[in-house]
Amino acid sequence: MDFYLGLVQIIGVHTLLGLSAYCVLLTGQVSLAQAGFFAVGAYVAGMLTVLGGWPLIPALAVASLAAGIVACAVGFPALRVKGLMLVVATTAFGEAVRLFFFNFTYQLERGELRIGPHGGEGFRQIRYFPENGWSTLDVMLFIWVVVIAVMAALWWMDRSRIGAVLRAVGEDELAAQSSGINVTAVKVSAMTIGGLIAGLGGGLFAHYTTHIEHVQFGVVLATFAVAYPILGGLSNVFGTLIAVIFIQGFLIEGLRFMGDWRNLLFGGLIVLAMIVRPRGLIDAGTLVALKRLLRRGERAGA
Amino acid sequence: MLDLIDALQSVADGVLFGATYALLGIGFTLIFGVMHKINLSYAAASIGAAYASLLLLAGVKAPPVLVFLMAAACGGVIGALVYFVAFRFIPLANPLATLMSTVGLLLLIDEIVVHATAGVPLNYPALFSDVVIRAGAFNLRGDLMFVFALGCVAMVLLWALLYRTRLGIATRAVSQQPVAAQLCGISIDGVNILTFVITGVLGGLAGAMTGAAIGVLSPLLSLPLTVKGLIVTVIGGLGSIPGAIVAGLLVGGIENVVQFFRGVSERDLYVMMLLFAFLVFRPGGLFAPAAGRD
Repeated sequence: MDFYLGLVQIIGVHTLLGLSAYCVLLTGQVSLAQAGFFAVGAYVAGMLTVLGGWPLIPALAVASLAAGIVACAVGFPALRVKGLMLVVATTAFGEAVRLFFFNFTYQLERGELRIGPHGGEGFRQIRYFPENGWSTLDVMLFIWVVVIAVMAALWWMDRSRIGAVLRAVGEDELAAQSSGINVTAVKVSAMTIGGLIAGLGGGLFAHYTTHIEHVQFGVVLATFAVAYPILGGLSNVFGTLIAVIFIQGFLIEGLRFMGDWRNLLFGGLIVLAMIVRPRGLIDAGTLVALKRLLRRGERAGA
Repeated sequence: MLDLIDALQSVADGVLFGATYALLGIGFTLIFGVMHKINLSYAAASIGAAYASLLLLAGVKAPPVLVFLMAAACGGVIGALVYFVAFRFIPLANPLATLMSTVGLLLLIDEIVVHATAGVPLNYPALFSDVVIRAGAFNLRGDLMFVFALGCVAMVLLWALLYRTRLGIATRAVSQQPVAAQLCGISIDGVNILTFVITGVLGGLAGAMTGAAIGVLSPLLSLPLTVKGLIVTVIGGLGSIPGAIVAGLLVGGIENVVQFFRGVSERDLYVMMLLFAFLVFRPGGLFAPAAGRD
C-alpha cells in the first residue's frame, strides 16, 4: 500500500513541477530552468526546517517565495531572447544552480552530528515528517491539498483576464504588443508564477524524500518539467496532470514488468505520442468533442 | 613562471579539444538554419554513431582510420533516421512537438546504447596517441592534434559543400526563403534530409573525436555534450558557421583553463556564466547577423 501512496506523492510533486512549466509555456516560451527553481525551493525549505527549526508551512511559503524571486531575477535577462536561445539560456541557468549546490556546503553542529547541505554528498537529514509523526497517508493528503489548491488557482487564472493575456502573448507576440500588452512584463510574471509553484513543489519534494542532492535536479528533471505540459496539451491544467499520470504512473511504474525494455519504450512512446497527437494528449479538439458528448447526454436525459 | 606555462598548456589542450564542440555547434546551427527547429537528439546521435562504428567493426581488427570513417557513415544514416522519426510526420508549424519528439529520441538513443553495451564504457581507438610534439616549453599531444586536424578538414569540406556546389546553394536557399526556394523547384524535403545527413556525418565525426580524445565512450557523455553544443551555438550566433567554430574553440580553451585553476567541480559553472554574460551583453552571439527584433 505504501508503494501506491508513494507513487501518488510523486505524481503530486511532479504535477506541481509540470504546472510551473505550464505557466511559462502559456506565453510561448520553453524554459528548462524549472528544475533550478525546484532545487532552490528544495534546499531553502530543507534548510529552514532542519537548520532553522521552522514549522513546515512557513518554510514552504518562504521556499516558494525564494524560488519566485530567483525566477523573477532570471526572467529579466533571460527573456530578452526567445526560442532556441531561451532554451539554452534557461538550461544554462538550471545547470548553474545544480553546480552551485554541488559546491555548496553549510553545516551546523548538532550534538555529535554535523547537519546541513554538504556539497556533492547532498543534504541528508530532512526528517520533518517522521519526527512529527506524519504517516505516509498524511503526507500524501497534504501534498494533494497543495496540488489541488494550485490547480484551482491556475484554473481560475486561465479563465480570467490574466489567462487571456498570457495566451495572447503565446499565440502572437507582435499582435499582443500592438494591442497594448507589455510583453516583457507578462513573460517575467509568468516566469515568476512558475518559480513560485516550482519552489513549492521543491519544498515538498525535499521533505518526502528526506535526502536531496544535486544530481536529482539536472537537465533530465528540467526536460520532464516541460515534457508534462507539452505532452498533455496546453488547453488546460488537466492536460499536465494526465501527462504526469501517463509518464510516472504508466511509462515508469506501469511498465516495470518489461524490465530493461521499459527504458527503451519510454523514449519511443514519447516520440510516438508527439507524432499521433502533436498538440498534446488533450487538445482544443478533445475539449470540443467532450462538450458535445456532454450536451448530447443532457438532451438524451431530458 | 611554471604556473603560466601550465595554464597556457591547458588552454592549448582545451582549444584542440574544442574542435569537437565546434563540430557539434555547426550541426545544431545548420539544422536550425534550414528548418528553424532544435534537434535535441543531435549529440546523443553523435555518440550513438561512434558506438555503432565500434560495434560494427568489433569482429574485424580495423585500423582506427576506418573506425573514424565508419562513425561518419553511421552518423549520416542515423541523421536520416532522426529526420524520418522525429520531424517528417509532425506538423512543422508546432515547434513544441518537434522539441519534445527529439527529447524522446535522445532518451531512446541513449537507452539503445545502454542496451547494446550493458552500460559498460567502451575504449575508443586513438591515432598518434604516443606522439608528443615539443614546441618550446609546451607539449602538444599527438591524439589531440589529430582530432583538431580532423575537425579542421571536416569544416573545410563543409564550407566547400555549402558554398561551391549546387546542393549547397539549394540548402542555403531553403534556409533563407523556403517558399521562394520551393518556387524555384528545390525540393524542401530533399534539402531537409540532406541537411540531416550532412550534420549526421559531422556529428559522427565529433562523436568519434570525443571518443578518441577522452579514450572511452560512455552514454553519460550525451547530455553534457548536448548542453555544450547548444551553448556553443548560442555564443557563436544562431545560424553562423564561423561563429560556431570560434565559439567551440573558445569554450574548449576556457573550460580547460578554469579546470586548471578552480578544479573540475566548478568548471562548468564558469562556462554557464560566460554564456549568461553573452546573453546579457551580446544576445546575438559573436557573429550575429545584423537583424531586427526577430
